[in-house]
Formats: sequence, C-alpha cells, structure tokens
Amino acid sequence: MKTQKKTMLTGNKAAAWGARMAGVEYVPAFPITPQTEIVETLAKWFADGTLQGKFTNMDSEHSMFMAAGSAGATGVRVFTASSSQGILHGMESLYTITGWRTPMVIVNVSRALATPITLEPDHNDVMSTRDCGLIQLHAETCQEVFDFVLMGYRIAEDPDVCLPVLVNLDGFYLSFTREPVLIPDEEEARNFLPLYKAMQPVFQASRPMARASAVFGGATYTSFKLQQDMACRNAEKCFNQAAQDFEKYFGRFYGPVEAFHLDDAEYVFVMSNSFATKGKSAVLKLRQQGIKAGLLKLRLFRPFPGEAIASALAGHAKVAVIDQNLAPGMGGITYPEIVTSLYSREDRPEKILSVIGGLGGKDMDDQDFMAIIEHLDKPDSGTPLYLYDEKDVSSFNRLQQIAKLKEALS
Amino acid sequence: MTTSTNVHKKIKDLHPNEAIAPGTGLCAGCGGLEGLRLGLKELGDDFLICNAAGCFTLLSVYPFTPLKGSWLYTTMGGSVPAAQGVRDALDIRMRYRGLEKKEDLNVIVVAGDGSSNDIGFGATSAAIHRGLDFIYFCYDNEAYGNTGFQLSAASPYGSATQTTPSTDVHEAGTEINKKNLFEIWKAQKPAYLATVSPREPIDLSNKFARAKELKGPRMFICMSPCPTGWGFEPKEMQEIAKLAVDTGIFPVKEYFEGEVVHTVRPRKRLPAEKFLERQKRFHHLFEPHRQDEVIGQIQKRVDDYWRQYE
Amino acid sequence: MWRIRMHGRGGQGIKTASQILGSAGFYSGFQAQDFPLYGAERRGAPVIAFTRISKDAILERGPISSPDIILIGDETLLNDPQSAPLCGAEPTTIIFVNSNHRPKELSQKFEVITANLTDLCLQRLNGRTIYSSALSAVGARLLGTIELEDLLQAVEDELPGVSSQMLKGNLDLAREVFEMVQPVAIPQRVEKALTAKPLVFPQHLPVVDGAPIILDPGNMALRKTGNWRVERPEIDYDHCNKCLICYARCPDGVISLAPDGRPEIDYDHCKGCLICAQECPGHFIKTVRETGIFP
Repeated sequence: MKTQKKTMLTGNKAAAWGARMAGVEYVPAFPITPQTEIVETLAKWFADGTLQGKFTNMDSEHSMFMAAGSAGATGVRVFTASSSQGILHGMESLYTITGWRTPMVIVNVSRALATPITLEPDHNDVMSTRDCGLIQLHAETCQEVFDFVLMGYRIAEDPDVCLPVLVNLDGFYLSFTREPVLIPDEEEARNFLPLYKAMQPVFQASRPMARASAVFGGATYTSFKLQQDMACRNAEKCFNQAAQDFEKYFGRFYGPVEAFHLDDAEYVFVMSNSFATKGKSAVLKLRQQGIKAGLLKLRLFRPFPGEAIASALAGHAKVAVIDQNLAPGMGGITYPEIVTSLYSREDRPEKILSVIGGLGGKDMDDQDFMAIIEHLDKPDSGTPLYLYDEKDVSSFNRLQQIAKLKEALS
Repeated sequence: MTTSTNVHKKIKDLHPNEAIAPGTGLCAGCGGLEGLRLGLKELGDDFLICNAAGCFTLLSVYPFTPLKGSWLYTTMGGSVPAAQGVRDALDIRMRYRGLEKKEDLNVIVVAGDGSSNDIGFGATSAAIHRGLDFIYFCYDNEAYGNTGFQLSAASPYGSATQTTPSTDVHEAGTEINKKNLFEIWKAQKPAYLATVSPREPIDLSNKFARAKELKGPRMFICMSPCPTGWGFEPKEMQEIAKLAVDTGIFPVKEYFEGEVVHTVRPRKRLPAEKFLERQKRFHHLFEPHRQDEVIGQIQKRVDDYWRQYE
Repeated sequence: MWRIRMHGRGGQGIKTASQILGSAGFYSGFQAQDFPLYGAERRGAPVIAFTRISKDAILERGPISSPDIILIGDETLLNDPQSAPLCGAEPTTIIFVNSNHRPKELSQKFEVITANLTDLCLQRLNGRTIYSSALSAVGARLLGTIELEDLLQAVEDELPGVSSQMLKGNLDLAREVFEMVQPVAIPQRVEKALTAKPLVFPQHLPVVDGAPIILDPGNMALRKTGNWRVERPEIDYDHCNKCLICYARCPDGVISLAPDGRPEIDYDHCKGCLICAQECPGHFIKTVRETGIFP
C-alpha cells in the first residue's frame, strides 16, 4: 500500500477526483445545482489536458444520459453527474440505457424535488431511480464519494453486471462541505482499476450490430428483463469483491451495510447518506445516557442487500427506519423494503417504526433522535412518525401570515 | 456551385449496394423507406443508425436487423444525443486509443417528422449548434404515423388527422400550418441541408453523395408519402410523391454555403388540388361539399412560396 | 362460451369483423368480448382478432389459443408460419376459409367450410375486399344463436361514417352471407384437471445474450414478407427494356439486377405494393392475383 495524499475536498471535488483517478474518457454534462462543481472541475481537466478524452456540453439531462449510454456502447469509460429535477428529466434515458447494459458511473447529488422548488437535499430524487436498473451506492462522507466512484467502475464494468452505477451524495451537507480525503496516486488507482477495455462488443465498422431493437411478445421482454435483474443481483457479489480488493490497495473496507454500535443495541436507527453522521453522534450521546442505541447505515441500496440488512437488524428489539424521502399517501420509501427483508426472520425486531425526516434539507438534531427513541417505546399510531415539531409549525404560520398580509388588511 | 458536381446522371448510376435487407415490417409502399434505401446506397455499409421511436422502429425487431451496418434504437427524443455519444466515443478512441480510421462509422439519425419537429427538436437544434458530425434523415409523413396518424407539427393545413379531424365546427381539419423545419434548421447554418423525394432518386443520390464528403451536421428532410396515413393505394406512392413535387407543394432543394438552390423545379406547376384529391386525408376538402376557401389558401401558400424564387 | 378467432390482413376489416360479431352477440342477449391483436406489422401484414360470446360472465382475457371457431378471411394465410391460423385447432374446431376451393382441397386433417366471400365483397362493396360484414355474418350464422336483425344492427353500429351506399352494400352482404351459411353444432368442452407449469429460475447470460443485441447484420431477410401479397407483379421479359425504373422505385429493395441487367423480383419478400407495375414506363409488369397456398 503506497502513501495516499490527504487533501481537503468537497464532496463534489471528491466525485470529480474519483472520475479523474478512474481515467474517465468521456463526460457528457449538463449543469444543475448542487452538482455543477463536479462537471466544472472535469471540464477544466479535459480542457487543460489533465484528462484525455472529451467533455461535451449537452442540452439536457435527457440528452446527457442518452449520450452517456451510447458512448458506453461505443467502448469508452463514461462518467456523468446530475441531481434532482435533472434526474427526473433524464428518467426515460436512464431506463433506456440500463436496458442497453452499458457500464458507466453516474453521480447524483441529492436535492429535493419540486413542487415547491428548493435547492436543499432529500432523497426523493435518487429514490425515483430505485427501479430503473441502476446499481446504487450511497455515500456518507467525501471519502466514500471518492472511493465509491472508483469501486463503481469495477462493479459497472464486471462482465456479470454491465450496468450503470449511481453514486449518491447529499447536496450541501456533502457536495459543498470540505473535509480531508485520501487520494491515491494514479499508478495505484490504475492497479485497482486498469484503463478501460470493453468486455462486450462495441460499435465500430468491423463489428456491425443492432442494439436495443424492439421486441414483440411478453416472453422475449420478460427474458431480457429477468437478465437485467440477474445482472443487478450479481452486483452484490461484485461489490463485495471490489471492496476486498479496495481494502488490499487502499486500506479501507466497505461492506454493503455499516453497523455502528449495533451489537448490544436495543434501539437501532436505519439511515443512509450524510445524515448518518448525525445519527452516529446521537447514538454516542444516547449511550452516555445509558440508552443502548445503535445505527445501521445503508451503502449498497441496489441491488438491495436484504440478507445483510436482515442479519444486522434481527435480534434487536426496536428499529426506526429514517427515510429522508416521502411517498405521499404511503410514507418512507425504504421502510417497506427493510421490513420485507426481515419478515421471514423469527428473531425480527418487535417494532419497526417508519420515520420521515430531513425533507428539503430540514436538519435533524439530537432531540429528533430522542423523540424517535420515545416513540419506539409507545404503541403504534398507524402512521409514520414525522420529524416535524412545534417550532416548525410556528415558523410556517409566520410565513403564511406574511403571505396573506395584504388580504388581511383589505 | 455544388449542383455542378452531380455524380449521378441516370438511374443506372445508382449505387448497386442495398444496405437494407428486405423482410421488414414496414408498410408496403412506404415512401420513407424508399428514401432511406436510396440514401444508404450512397453511404456505404460503415454506418450506425440511431433511431428515434417512430414507424422505423420496426426496421429492426429482435432477433432481426435488415441493416448491413449498425443500429441503435433510442427513444423518441433521444436519437440525436445518442449520435453525439457514439460520435464522441469513436473520436476519442481514434485519437487516444489507437482505433484505426477504417473502424470509423458514418453516424446517422433516422427520425420521423414527429420526433424531428416536436419531441426531438430541441436536442437536434443543440447538436447542430455543437456542430455534431452526423447525417440526419427525417422521414416526413406529416403526422405521428406509427401511433395511427395524429397531428404533428409537420401536419399541413387542411389535412385531417386522428386528432384534428374535419368536423362541422372545424371543417378544415388541421387549422395551423406545417412548421418550416427547413428554414429553422437553415437558420443554424448546418454544413448541408436538403429536401429529397423518393420519386427523385438521382437528385436524392447526388445529395447523399455530396453530404458524404462533408463534415458537420448534414440534414435531410424526405417527403414520405404514407399509404396508410394519407389514404391511398400503396402502388400510388411514387405518383403521390411526384404530384407533391409537380404541384410545388414540396420544394426539392438544398442549402449549402449560405445559398438555397431548387434542384428539381416543376416546369409548370400543377394545381395543388391534383395532389390533394388523391388522398383520403384531404377528402373533406372535396366532399360532401368543396371547401374552396381552404383549397384556395393551400394554393396561395404554394404560390407565395414560389414567388420568392421567380 | 364460444371462442372465435379471425385471421386476415391489415386493411381487410378483420378487427371490425370481430367487433360486429361481438356487438351482434351482445344485442342477442349474450355476454361478449372482442379485441384485435396488434403486432409489429402494417397494412397487408397478417392480423388476428378475437370474439368471445357467452351466456355467463366471461372470465377470460387476451388471445384465444384454443378456439371453437376459426374464421380465415384470406386463404393465402393458411400456410403462413407467422399468422399460423390453424394454431390450437382441434379436430372438433370449426374452420371457415374464404376460398373458392373445395374444403378437401384445403385440408385433409380438418373439417373445413368454405365460401367465396371475395367475389361477394367485390360485387357488393364497389370492388373492395373488406371482409368485416361478410366474415362476421359467417361467424354469427355458424353459432346459430344470433338473430339476423341483431347482426344487421351491429353492422350499422360498427361502420360509422361510411357512405349510405357503402352501408347498404355491407348490410346486403351480411344478409346474403347469413342466409348462405348453415349453423353448426359446436361441441361442449370438457374441462381438464389443472396441472402446474414447470417454472424455471432464470440463469444469468453473458451480456451479448442477456441484452437485445443482434450480431448478424441483414438477417431480416430470414423473415419472408412475400406472404403479405394479395397480388403479385410479374415482369414481361419479352418486352422489358431494362430501364431499371422498377428497381429504383421499390421501397423494399426486392428487385435486384441479374448479371445480364434484367430486373428480378424476390418473391420471398415482395410485399405486393405494386409500385413497380404502376411505374413501369412501358407497362411491362402485369399483376396477378395470389391464390391458394403461398409457395
């Protein structure tokens, strides 16, 4: 293991460095806050010759993902990034290119979805891509962002997978936050991830082929869709293999989930992304107060590591699944998936609570976590627990009065 | 001027290559297919078609492809950016990864008028703006044909479509004008821009031969008579295409280096209704009663167009 | 329940036939269901449509794989592997073919009923071959449970917007066919005990097989579209002057040049658009009606 250089980097810069160390050759890009710094950084590196290949300014995310997919099908290593409305605008293309089975890494910088429009983060954007066949890795730290981009190419390009990998990081809380990140030298990165060589036929004159042709008949469609499912499932094995190699080269190990003070925990928070740091802090404080709390952090979200999650949560009494997303009329999006993974376990938790918090960047503090502990001890209410308090109500009321002031005077 | 460099003078000069094998599920008598067939004859087999969802989606149905070259089915609005990705990737591999020049591909977009005028319009404009080195082939049958003939921005005034039917309240059927895609594209100064007709194979072939030698965006709009949507017998396709030219309704022209030239000029223009009366989509202009005002408007627009060039 | 499957080509009114029969059944007091099967193909390509008619609620949906009655509007489809009109037929299935042939000439295996609907249509419908009324009338009469007046009402309702002359032609046609055909006894089905399907867990394939990728350029020619033809163009080589207009004008590129410069039509693929015949300057390409079984 060679020395790695420690540098203060934002999450966005860490993503760009990940792409640089992966030796990406093609970046089709379209700006969107809070992702833009990633593509700006890469644009500069292509422009000054640091990176060899091409950076193309596209006209929309729909176009951008399409160009990314077709370039992947033509045999280059592709990187791109987006966020929020951009992910939604590109959704048709995302479903399309996962079906093409061309590898690439996409970074999503999470930002809440309109309406109302806002710049701050939550996970409805990345959750909207949950079912389109992407591999998903969720990062808590800037280091994880860098590392997951490198690991992402190993998974995406594995012949048993051949699917785009999406690395998720939170807008603002990670994208614009600097912290120390270890960056290996290029040679070491190349040992872990050699320069790109396509493992499937790619477009060139000597290899005419038709890709993505229409099918008629449910059986043919089903066959290809099931293959996509098999490939996506294979990615868990590839993730674990890449994680082992990654540890060998760089000394950091990543499992599909991370257990934090879980062994003897009676209360478990299930979280993902940057707010998991807040959850970990709360766990330590709760333990000082004699409350046996722990945290399970999700890293690999697609394929869904149900077995790893169930094994980590089984045997613990009370679990709160904290979703920073909302499916109106239903609740948290990851909650039912986690409950499902535990259903067949005899030692499943006696209580699994759905918690909705952090919407549109709304902060989560220690008192929120204490409130969750209290509710875990109460009987079920039949609805999710919303992290929404009296202060939120009064500040909202104030805004509403301002919005109506003239009407009130007239 | 470019027109002096025509390499084809007669039918026997057409390139013998057929890049599209038969057996496709496209309608018998498809005008657009004839246009694409003639165009591909000139381009050789080293091509990749990025196809926009539309009638031509049916060219390749798994596990079959009619093409000697490559095919990538995309989405209705995604064919041009897909071409961008392929073009960029080939350039990258040739420049940095030692891919030999002989492995290069002519990147072609094939899209219908709905995709070209509507859902893929912005992405196409963006690609012309970027100077993308590609050939764009729009088969224009003046409606969303693949879904059963609904209004597109290319549907002409006075035509009936499934979503602009002729009724007692809206007798004309389509009451708005066809978008002038040629002029809009021309405003962006692509490397080459031409309209072609399947009934003018020599003209069409010369235009593709010319475009093949150029770099940058090379745009084609192919008048594509559609027996199914327009309502005529398949065997009449070429006659209808000829009438479109002979009435002056469809000007056959090219734009190159700032100049527009009409490459096939009707000697004496036939009345527009000679074209209209042969198609079911215009029947309401003649029966149950003749809509003179609408027919007159159509004729006036044709006359106004040609007056600019007389 | 009676399950009726109809076969024809795009443009022959097969879908409408299934609707007329459905409505006629409905008007006669039955439960009814009708629908077409849309494939990839277009005008001239094989089309299938279905009608279910029942005294009780119809607890079936989707294509009929074992029909009680098969109505074939276009006999050139008989041996067509794509259309496969006899697929799922049992010895007891009633099979009607629009044909001038005698039943035994068409099939030794099945009891076939034939009638020449084409000529009737040509007469009644101003020279057009649209079988919607004729074929539905065959179906209605074979069942023996549908009243003529209900059939005629259905013809009127399912052909909106046609001219009064054309409607009259269709009504006359339906009446004539109805009176020409005899009801048949449709055997009751014995429901077999259910058996489970042998399900398999999918195995992961390498991406070249696991994604829709085609590595055999031009293999579309394996699909024969010659069966779309209703009429075939034939070149009169005694007069052909090799001008190659036919070759240049063929959208499907099925006219190739022989070594001696003669144009040759690939009948395996010619869809019968007849542009070549229409465009031949000397009118040296004649058109011949396709009959019987596609070679």
